[in-house]
Amino acid sequence: MAEHEETITHVVKALKEPVRLDPHFTRRVMSEIERLPVPGTRMSPLRSLIVWLRRRRTIRLSPLGALAMAAGVAMVVLAGSRLLAPSAGSDLLEDGTRGQPTQLMQFVLVAPGASSVALVGDFNDWNLSATPLVRAHGDGVWWVTVPLSPGRYRYSFVVDGSTWLVDPDAPAIEDEFGRENSLLTIGGA
Amino acid sequence: MRVGLGVLIVGVSILGAPALAGAQESRLVGRLPDDARRTVDSVLVAARTSGLPTEPLVDRALEGAAKGASGEVIVRAVTRLRDDLHLARLAFGDLATAAELTAGASALRAGASREDLAELRSLRPNQSLTIAAAVLADLVAVGVPTDTAVAAVLALARDAEDADYIAFRRNVQRDIALGASPAAALGVRLETADDLAGEAPTPGTGVGTPSGPRKRKP
Repeated sequence: MAEHEETITHVVKALKEPVRLDPHFTRRVMSEIERLPVPGTRMSPLRSLIVWLRRRRTIRLSPLGALAMAAGVAMVVLAGSRLLAPSAGSDLLEDGTRGQPTQLMQFVLVAPGASSVALVGDFNDWNLSATPLVRAHGDGVWWVTVPLSPGRYRYSFVVDGSTWLVDPDAPAIEDEFGRENSLLTIGGA
Repeated sequence: MRVGLGVLIVGVSILGAPALAGAQESRLVGRLPDDARRTVDSVLVAARTSGLPTEPLVDRALEGAAKGASGEVIVRAVTRLRDDLHLARLAFGDLATAAELTAGASALRAGASREDLAELRSLRPNQSLTIAAAVLADLVAVGVPTDTAVAAVLALARDAEDADYIAFRRNVQRDIALGASPAAALGVRLETADDLAGEAPTPGTGVGTPSGPRKRKP
């Protein structure tokens, strides 16, 4: 009996020992409590969203799922970079200065017998279908207006899809492919 | 473990995607013969690695394709432009912008030397060289002898703004269109202070229609 009493005494003594807690325990607990919604009140949608976003979760991914996710992320990254990168018809010129205000430049060619005229150059990836000229009142004058940034551009007209012509009103220079290019240098504002 | 593998795959894919994308210029696909495209792609990768601008190289390849040049000719043109860009950087310095390098390459192609470009850099240490170098190439294109064009551009280098260079080139070109010899037109315009102010020519000094594409008000 005395033996039992001694055991009980030890147990009681042990139970009376103060529990040693993490010194930051109280603060952490109170912080978590503060995040909880007060009973009877509704959190604002923004607050709910923040709480939902900050809640920690364990996410399990299979390798296949991870690959699919990676492919998705890669597509987003590529699409974003494509949107941000210079594109056809952008203001990037051979010598252009990106980010400066563009100027509207009018290109004119007199070609009475032509059925189509295209403008190709450094500003549109030399794409024959990117910048067609329009005929002015059927009198053989073709024109188009293109916004360009300061810089130096090489360009040509293409008549009826196959005949390359330099701009008679602009300086021209031999290219490296047996033809000539017209030159346009635009200064800053 | 599963999460760790997934994260690894995601990380590698994200890091690798841009590199793979950069290895191939999509605008060249279908426009250049496959062999030429692969070669040009490798030139682009090397240029990008060494800090040279790649957009003018792509433009040159697309120009050749649009004009029906063979793959061999296109590769040669792209490689030559890459070399010119490299020389321009040696002349202009490592801090030169892509626009300056491409303009410098044009000037080199027009006959200017690397030393000429280096002198231009030293005369305009804190100003853009893009328009100055481009105007040098333009002057040669309208018939001004290369040495004369270089001398004129260097003579203007200390004080001229970009707009001054543009006005200078425009006036020289106008005088040539009116019958002046290129060298004479350049000499006269170089002595005319009005050119640097970009003012309209006075009667009797060469009045004509603006040449080249016309600027329109937006």
